[in-house]
Amino acid sequence: MSEEYVLTRDIIYDHNERMLNIKKYYPFFKLSEISFRQYREGKYDNLDMGYILMAVLRFFIEKNNFNEESVTYESYEKFMSELLRRDFDIRTDKEEEKEIISFIFDKIKNDGKPFVYSYFNPVDKKRQSVRTRIIDSKIVDGTVSYTISADAVEFYLDTKEIKDESDITIDQVLLAKLIASKNFRGGTEVVRRINSEVGKLIARKNEVLNILSYDVFQGVKAYEEFNRTGIRWFEEEQKLFVKNKELISQALKQGESENNYYSAMEDIYQLEQELNRAITRHGRLLRECTDLQVKADDIIARAKLGRLRTSFDFRDFLKNMINNNSVLPLQNIVKPLFGIGIHKSFSLGSVDNMLTFKPDGNETGEKISSEEEEQYVYPDELEEERIKSNYGIFMESLFAKIISDKSFTLGEWVRELNDKTGYDVMKNADFYSFIVHLCQKKEYNLIQSVNRPDTFLEEIIKEHYMIEEERQLEMHEEVPELPDIVFSITSVTGSDEVIEKEGVACIANLRIESIE
Amino acid sequence: MQDRNMDKALEIFSALITGDEISARNKDTASLYDEYSNNAEVYDIVYSMCKKMNLMLYEYKNTIYVSPGDNNRVFGYSNEELKRIIGVRLNRELYLCYFVIYSVMTRFYSDTSNPTFTEYVKCDDIVNAVDSMLADTLKSINLLNLDEIEDNSFQAISATWEDLPLVISEEGMSRASRGSKTGFVKMVFNFMEKQSLLVENEGRYYPSQRMRALIENYYEENKGRLYEIMKGVSEDAAY
Repeated sequence: MSEEYVLTRDIIYDHNERMLNIKKYYPFFKLSEISFRQYREGKYDNLDMGYILMAVLRFFIEKNNFNEESVTYESYEKFMSELLRRDFDIRTDKEEEKEIISFIFDKIKNDGKPFVYSYFNPVDKKRQSVRTRIIDSKIVDGTVSYTISADAVEFYLDTKEIKDESDITIDQVLLAKLIASKNFRGGTEVVRRINSEVGKLIARKNEVLNILSYDVFQGVKAYEEFNRTGIRWFEEEQKLFVKNKELISQALKQGESENNYYSAMEDIYQLEQELNRAITRHGRLLRECTDLQVKADDIIARAKLGRLRTSFDFRDFLKNMINNNSVLPLQNIVKPLFGIGIHKSFSLGSVDNMLTFKPDGNETGEKISSEEEEQYVYPDELEEERIKSNYGIFMESLFAKIISDKSFTLGEWVRELNDKTGYDVMKNADFYSFIVHLCQKKEYNLIQSVNRPDTFLEEIIKEHYMIEEERQLEMHEEVPELPDIVFSITSVTGSDEVIEKEGVACIANLRIESIE
Repeated sequence: MQDRNMDKALEIFSALITGDEISARNKDTASLYDEYSNNAEVYDIVYSMCKKMNLMLYEYKNTIYVSPGDNNRVFGYSNEELKRIIGVRLNRELYLCYFVIYSVMTRFYSDTSNPTFTEYVKCDDIVNAVDSMLADTLKSINLLNLDEIEDNSFQAISATWEDLPLVISEEGMSRASRGSKTGFVKMVFNFMEKQSLLVENEGRYYPSQRMRALIENYYEENKGRLYEIMKGVSEDAAY
């Protein structure tokens, strides 16, 4: 029984309110039915009245509410002219253009009459009509100016959630309209909407902060978006709040002085209270946003620095642990956080060991055995020894040849060396370095070289002879005198110019001559 | 070396190893903090004693904290001791506790130089965090025979976690126990509170200065060694 009652009540008693609510849509559908097919033989058939109406509404909101100025017919005409050219490619002469713009204006103004929408009122059981306008006109300083109506603003805002702009700003614009048209109850509803929008923004601020804390890059994007749709409009919103508050206090004053206004006083008070609440919440939002701004800057600065300094990435470490499927490193991570464990406990086994432990009667000292230090011979020392020994062989052979032959070529000496040693000296790397050292001087005096060595080779010659001398002294042998050898080195020209060893080397031939 | 400096250094050291904080803000320890920060000899002695004892010393917001590191047999806790203190029986339960602590850490820090600006955590946050962190491993458990799961694997702790009901009963929601996910997290929270890592207020757990000091300093210093440990584990896993 009660359900049936509720159903009937809903149908009958709420109908009036529903119809009042949808009246704001009525002019749009009425106007969008208008066809330009009959106008000027269908020349402007492509014009779409629905689109034109929405554009005009936006233009009026911009002028009336954002810039707080009235629209004159001239400014409307200018706007329409641009629109027709831009969106419908209409290129026609001035007169005809003016005519079509005026035709459209009359249609939007419904030829100066309100749009009348009639419906059946089931409570009174009779037809009832509601009137609405899109554009109001008034005369200021002798000129007619136009303003958008509250219904039209509400209709325009209802058609789309305007993401680029703050909803609070839009709602405030609407609120101003509603107060101006003395619809205080509607105004209260709008302020409640503003309150819920402020709540949403506070929640969004926390979300942005959360994203920032996890992922700076995503967070910065969210923060910029929040700035664009939220924070950017603060100043505007604050101004509008002040303006609306002013409007309400004016309405209150007017209400107190005029008796006919008395019935609306309760609504005005309620609206004022709601608006005060909205202003407080809006102030809180402002503080929250300032806090967000500070924290966001801090997070971004830290993230920038963090990129430069080394840090330990917990998420990355966890990922590695999961990939290795081992929880063991967890203890290495977690245990350092714990405090100092000063209360010690022992396992029963350890306690048992401690109780049954029998220390030795006497402590035995550790024996230390003496070890001789080993002599190390490094690879470079071995190399040096080999070079010196090879150079000794070459020198002795060279000096013997100089004494016996007086003059010979490098080629001849090489052949003799090969025969004597039984090895191919051209395959010995030390032989080449010996020749290079030998060619550093053009003349050698052996006695002088040993007494005053100039070159690296002369040092080796001296060292070689001194070692030889020491050896012979040790062996108690007679130390022979240093042979008085003076020789020159010149290069050989002609067919013997080069000594070649196939696949090994090719060196310039030299002539070694004894100087008397 | 003056005897007085040695005395002060020993006083600081003994306060630190008995679990006290040396802070400029605490009137009982302010003079010790002053000695530590202004007297180079005292600082050197304390530092060198800690180093020899394998303890790590950190200064954070005018307070000195000490950490035994992860392999300190004298001053650290053994796994058996921890099991007894926390109130768990099995190794896999202990490692699950470690994992819960790790997830608490990651709620406050994504890496050591980036605090997440999360002010506090609640029990539910951590239950959800552990759920999501173990989500992938939990999927793979369904494909495995539970007897085949190795003891020290993530699957083992995931299975332990998965086997716990969210709560035992509505009345027992806030009780710490091994019997439910919420109880388990609560048990770990209690342990962390005892270790001065978290501070509780109306079911909200805030990170302590000590926790921040250790997180912001210890891991950065020991980064190389921790990754070496990880590398060792991965090589073991490969053979």
